[in-house]
Amino acid sequence: MTQAPPPPFDPELAAALELIKDVISPGLTMDEIADVRQGAGIQMLAELDLTLDGFFEVEDRAVPGPEGAPEISLLICRPAVPAQGGPRPVIYHVHGGGMIIGNNRVGVDAALAWAKELDAVVVSVEYRLAPEHPHPAPVEDVYVGLEWTAKNAAELGADPQRIVVAGASAGGGLSAALALLTRDRGGPQLIGQLLMCPMLDDRNDSPSTYQMAGLGVWDRTANETGWTALLGDLRGGPDVPAYAAPARAEDLSGLPPAFLDVGSAETFRDEVVAYASRIWQAGGAAELHVWPGGFHGFDGFAPQAALSQACRAAHVEWLRRLLSR
Amino acid sequence: MKELAGRLTALDPDAGAAVRVIAYFDRLAESRAGLEALVRGAAVLAGVPARLVDADRRVQVRVEADGTRRENDLPPDPGWPYAALTPGGAPALWLERARAAEPSVVDAVILERAAGAVRLVLDRTRGRAPADDPALVETVLDATAPEAARLHAARRLGLDPAAPARALAPLDGRPRIAPAQGDPEPPVGRVGVGPVVPVLDLPHSWEQARVALRFSAEGTAQDPGSGVVHADELGDVALLAHLVAPGAEPPPDVRALEAAAAATPWLLTTLHAVATTVSLRAAASEINVHHSTLQERLAHAEHLLGWPLRTPQGRFRLGLALAMRHLVRSQGEQ
Repeated sequence: MTQAPPPPFDPELAAALELIKDVISPGLTMDEIADVRQGAGIQMLAELDLTLDGFFEVEDRAVPGPEGAPEISLLICRPAVPAQGGPRPVIYHVHGGGMIIGNNRVGVDAALAWAKELDAVVVSVEYRLAPEHPHPAPVEDVYVGLEWTAKNAAELGADPQRIVVAGASAGGGLSAALALLTRDRGGPQLIGQLLMCPMLDDRNDSPSTYQMAGLGVWDRTANETGWTALLGDLRGGPDVPAYAAPARAEDLSGLPPAFLDVGSAETFRDEVVAYASRIWQAGGAAELHVWPGGFHGFDGFAPQAALSQACRAAHVEWLRRLLSR
Repeated sequence: MKELAGRLTALDPDAGAAVRVIAYFDRLAESRAGLEALVRGAAVLAGVPARLVDADRRVQVRVEADGTRRENDLPPDPGWPYAALTPGGAPALWLERARAAEPSVVDAVILERAAGAVRLVLDRTRGRAPADDPALVETVLDATAPEAARLHAARRLGLDPAAPARALAPLDGRPRIAPAQGDPEPPVGRVGVGPVVPVLDLPHSWEQARVALRFSAEGTAQDPGSGVVHADELGDVALLAHLVAPGAEPPPDVRALEAAAAATPWLLTTLHAVATTVSLRAAASEINVHHSTLQERLAHAEHLLGWPLRTPQGRFRLGLALAMRHLVRSQGEQ
């Protein structure tokens, strides 16, 4: 198939890629996973001020893992001042990292910014990573973390009826899977799912996966690495469960309202647009933003860019509308 | 994956920073980024607010280190590092960094690359000195041109369609448009200044500026008076302009003035001083004559003109005659 040229990157984002190209390349192979886990990015993230200048009280809490599995760690950030109007909503955050890297600090700064603005509690879950821990380890960890959060909401000054799951990239995929799981198991109810450039489809065969090969961030090579780490030989075959790759779900009805966004210049573009369309087709509520010229995770890499500011504002505004219901 | 590389934040002044600055602005220029993106790049890479001010093109962009656009009217601090858009030109791009003991090499590279890219964008999008493009100015001032055409021309001139502006009618030179606040270089010589109006009302401001121009004077003994006249300050006096056409047969009082002035060199300066100061004492001081000399001159002038000059009504009549004399003498294109 002849591939059309890729959409151009937004000018500011193209320049930002210029700055980070020495640190991050579009592709990633299995051999490189160990190196990337040791990368400078992770260390820098550990230096984040999680209290946002004392606004939040921060705690790492070890809670029971899934049956027969080790404990998991929840990063809990609560506004230090007592709540004014009853228990607070919870932003249940699932970090990104292609299923293979990262920890519960990664990307949590965005969630903390929302929570500060909207007076919410943030719980960010640590989950076991592939390939050492393939599916269903990551999503089951995410699920038990949610169960614990709902059950212990009162202790956190939080409202178990008002939990929103949010995540970017692999965290977005796991968030979408969590919404499917809670629906099917009758687990804790989510009131919304905020899926930022989510990793949804292990098949890695949409036009955008080919179109963006070798470009931007997280191209089809990296994507194949991540999914293969999670699914092994199952990847791309007929037997991949929806809780591993939500794009595989046959039924997208009965899900909590969704926010989805994605860059027009990234591997995930077409699978995210398709997922939103399928939610609507199933009678669900979804808001979809496709950021023109955005590469994968652009708002995290270049939060100052005009497009990133618009993107981040859209996240907060959606949450504000959701939580004001 | 996204957080692996860390954030795009202010660069440490380490080896390689300058190279990355250059690559950053080259890439912005390549993809034809606009002014705001360039100024934001300077702010983000330097880690301090950056501002671009090009008075001639009426461009003002200020971006903070977190990337948000936020204008302020405070003047640039003389200690901030800056760059000009042209070699030897006026400062145009600043990094709002307090004066440091040692100028930073990275700052200098940021300023140099950003200013170069800004200059290219300005030349491409606004042209050189676009305020002087007579066809665009003409369109903005033309009441018969469609609104869309006038707005388009205004934008091309760098005028903010939402910000008020005024028209200037110089005697020598082309029509000018100035933002309501701070005209960088007012035209020299005689000029009529129109009222401040919304951009779409500029034809009206232009009309009034031309009327105001007719009340201006050369400021000589033969034509005493102010070279710059503001329509706002004329008030209903401006209505006289409709009564007296340029070059028309002067009304009787103006004829009397001309006849008297022909025989009496001091007459017009003296009468202008009397008409524009608050007392005869002030008028005498204005033209550097003794009070008694002024009294003698006025007695003589009253005799020549045939009406009193030292009564309120007489002074009013004098002021009217002087104003109408400007109107008769003006070469307005009315």
